[in-house]
Amino acid sequence: MNYPVWDVAFGAGLLMALVAGLHVFVSHFAVGGGLFLVLTERKARRNKDSQLLTWLKFHTRFFVLLTVVFGAVSGVGIWFTIGLISPTATSNLIHIFVWGWAIEWVFFFLEITAALLYLYGWDKLEPSLHEWFGWVYFIAAFASMVVINGIITFMLTPGHWIENHQFWSGFFNPTYAPSLLFRIFISLALAGIYALITASVQKDAEVKKRIVRWGALWTVPSLLLLPVFAGWYIRAIPHDLWASARGAMPTGTHFALLACMLLAGTFLLALISLIRPTRLHLAFALLLAVVAFGAMDSFEFVRESVRKPYVIENYLYANSVYAASMPGDGGFTVDNINTAGVLKTARWVENRDLTQANQIAAGHEIFRVECESCHTPNGYRGIHQYIVKRQWDRDKLHAMLGVLFLMHNNVMPPFAGTDAELNALTAYLGSLQPMNPPADLHPDGRAVFEQNCSMCHQARAGDHLFTNMPKDPQTAVSALGSLPAMFPIMPDLKLSEDERRALVQWVDTQRPLLAAQGGN
Amino acid sequence: MFDPSMVPTPDPNPLPAPYWVFKLLLVVTFALHILAMNCMLGGAVLALLARWRQKGNQFGTRIFFDVAKKVPVLVAATISLGIAPLLFVQVLYGQYFYTSSILVAWPWFLVLLFLVFAYYGFYFVSYKGERRPRAAGRVMLFSTTLILLIGFIYTNNLTLSQVPANWAQKYFSSTSGWGLNLSEPTLVPRYLHFMTAAVAVGGLYLVLLAWTKWKQDEEYARAIFQLGGKAFLYATMTQVVIGFWFLFSLPKALRMVFMGGDPLATSLLCFGLVAALVSIFMMSAALKKGNIRLAAVGVTSITALIVLAMSVMRELLRMAYLKPYYNPQQFAVQTQWSPFLIFLVLFVAGGAFWFVMLKRYGLFSGTKSVQ
Repeated sequence: MNYPVWDVAFGAGLLMALVAGLHVFVSHFAVGGGLFLVLTERKARRNKDSQLLTWLKFHTRFFVLLTVVFGAVSGVGIWFTIGLISPTATSNLIHIFVWGWAIEWVFFFLEITAALLYLYGWDKLEPSLHEWFGWVYFIAAFASMVVINGIITFMLTPGHWIENHQFWSGFFNPTYAPSLLFRIFISLALAGIYALITASVQKDAEVKKRIVRWGALWTVPSLLLLPVFAGWYIRAIPHDLWASARGAMPTGTHFALLACMLLAGTFLLALISLIRPTRLHLAFALLLAVVAFGAMDSFEFVRESVRKPYVIENYLYANSVYAASMPGDGGFTVDNINTAGVLKTARWVENRDLTQANQIAAGHEIFRVECESCHTPNGYRGIHQYIVKRQWDRDKLHAMLGVLFLMHNNVMPPFAGTDAELNALTAYLGSLQPMNPPADLHPDGRAVFEQNCSMCHQARAGDHLFTNMPKDPQTAVSALGSLPAMFPIMPDLKLSEDERRALVQWVDTQRPLLAAQGGN
Repeated sequence: MFDPSMVPTPDPNPLPAPYWVFKLLLVVTFALHILAMNCMLGGAVLALLARWRQKGNQFGTRIFFDVAKKVPVLVAATISLGIAPLLFVQVLYGQYFYTSSILVAWPWFLVLLFLVFAYYGFYFVSYKGERRPRAAGRVMLFSTTLILLIGFIYTNNLTLSQVPANWAQKYFSSTSGWGLNLSEPTLVPRYLHFMTAAVAVGGLYLVLLAWTKWKQDEEYARAIFQLGGKAFLYATMTQVVIGFWFLFSLPKALRMVFMGGDPLATSLLCFGLVAALVSIFMMSAALKKGNIRLAAVGVTSITALIVLAMSVMRELLRMAYLKPYYNPQQFAVQTQWSPFLIFLVLFVAGGAFWFVMLKRYGLFSGTKSVQ
């Protein structure tokens, strides 16, 4: 809103996920892999295992080529990308944590230097000195994680920073410790997983076996400990946010489930690699890496999903509108935009005034400044798909846009703007998919629920729709016809009598099931 | 029509240290970054040059590989040292920098891809080049071209960040982020100014490399010295012309800042010009007499001062460009003392420790051999 918006046809969010997802998978390896290198070197030297040393030298080159090149560039890449997609959040994070970033940079600089000297030092340095460089590398890499973890966790749980704006309050926030431990064990597990990749191309079966077993010693216990720290992490996240990953928000829930399944898959594959370690194939090692990558990225998706609608919890919405007004907010707060209008507040719009003629063009601009940080018209998280799936006509769309903030465990920011602007946004979104659904004489109650209620209500024990709807069918049908009158927060869905009747029937069939669930 | 109110507002958080601290850090870390970049790019260009003109020059291929093997480390140095100015430019000029980046978003994003490919290319040459010399030359050319393109994209973005008046027209004609800043009159001279400097400093890097090899193999070292020294000489002579082209491509009001308008800017320009001429004569004398010490110590010292002066001038130019919109007093300052002090201590200690690492590695005192 303060900044121009980069129109990425397939979705800016997807691009961000791609860059960040690849980066975290390598950067965590950069930490755990560092410890792996020194400890493996020490083990090999103690056992006078020259074959293991030869492999480790090869593995070091793989490690450096991956972490120093791809890891470093993709790390800078995250900065480039968030600056393009979320400049307001980036600017805030930069100013709040300048010294954190600067400290991290010092460690990063030492880390890169030590990694290169460790690599080039293999044929040049005395063993003890070479190991010393390995330790320097690991400590610097670990320190950079210790710093960056404070900033990443701040975004989800800013803690007392919201009130006092103190650096350390934001840095050592409620999820700092569990997240750090969680990530440490991810790093250690990844060290073992990546080792399998270079081990798999070893010709000597005996060496391969030794490496696979040694790698499993890093992976298996770390994976077993991960759920413990995940549990602690989850408990440190406010309960209402975590609900998004427990069914209330489809994206968060899907990725939470996926993270669990892929984590289990990683664990199983790691165990399977131990069955015939001498015959470990590169394809298997890569499969394991891909599954681990999926698990890790799913976790990062969950973290980002439960944070929604904020990019910095309780401070800045994902669409760069501040949650509360404060000096220097530039007027980019919901209250101000509701009064002044988004077209008058946003800096980068052409249609400052709404007319009959520019409804769709202005609506498109509103979409761009308010929605495009997460959604696209037709691509990634495309609104078009939502509209088609739910068969919304213009009226319903308008009603739904008015209650965005209630949807899916409040994961959407409120629409900010005037009523006329809401109409313009509706006109634009309606133009994506003109909908005139034929009147269905025998509507399906479940479909009515899915299309009209499921954004905010869930078929689960304790949901207000299922507990509070009048038991008497006729009363319920007429109540559904005048929802906003009874509950001002509810949108006017304008359901036909047939639809209401079908909905009531379906809800009644679900009640005993849900009651049984609740009872259990 | 440009509407000045389109310039984004900085976020509400105060600066966590006085303004001048960030200014100083920005200028100093930028100078370090650009020195590393110059050695990397200049080194790569001269390695290619050595290879192409190897007819009648027995050392061409050897120089090519010796220099090419150093390039990946120089890329690492360029990136590592580039992070700090990238951070500090966002601290002070975020609202301009983010905006221009968004207007040239795709090229700006492509920098990352180009860099990854270039970087792996350099590593290929370094590790596999001697076994596959033909491919090595091509890959080196490919990677170097990508780095040259990255420089061009940087110049596009940074010039655009300084001229908010050009933003609106660009954005409202297309929001896809595929544009560059090609209509900017200073674009080409500014870009060439930086790239020519890279060749000159790359030449000096070769001189330093020759110096370290002087005792082992003087004949070979002389060949590197000749190549590097001449590259410095010709590039710096060309630079005098390009420098004036750049100066005269600036809008008059900005040009005058360096021509009497601002005492500091004017003195720095005079210093830069005189120092460049002195360095040309000094390098020319050093080459004639075969006095590598004069080139390695004398010319390098002068050049380091020139680069620092140019970094300050670059900053003064940005201030002059942004004068209608930017006022350092706009920042509220609330120093975060404890993290600031931790940074300072780590910065100094980290720098010292960095030298300890290089020393222990044997970079300054011969090599520690494997038993």
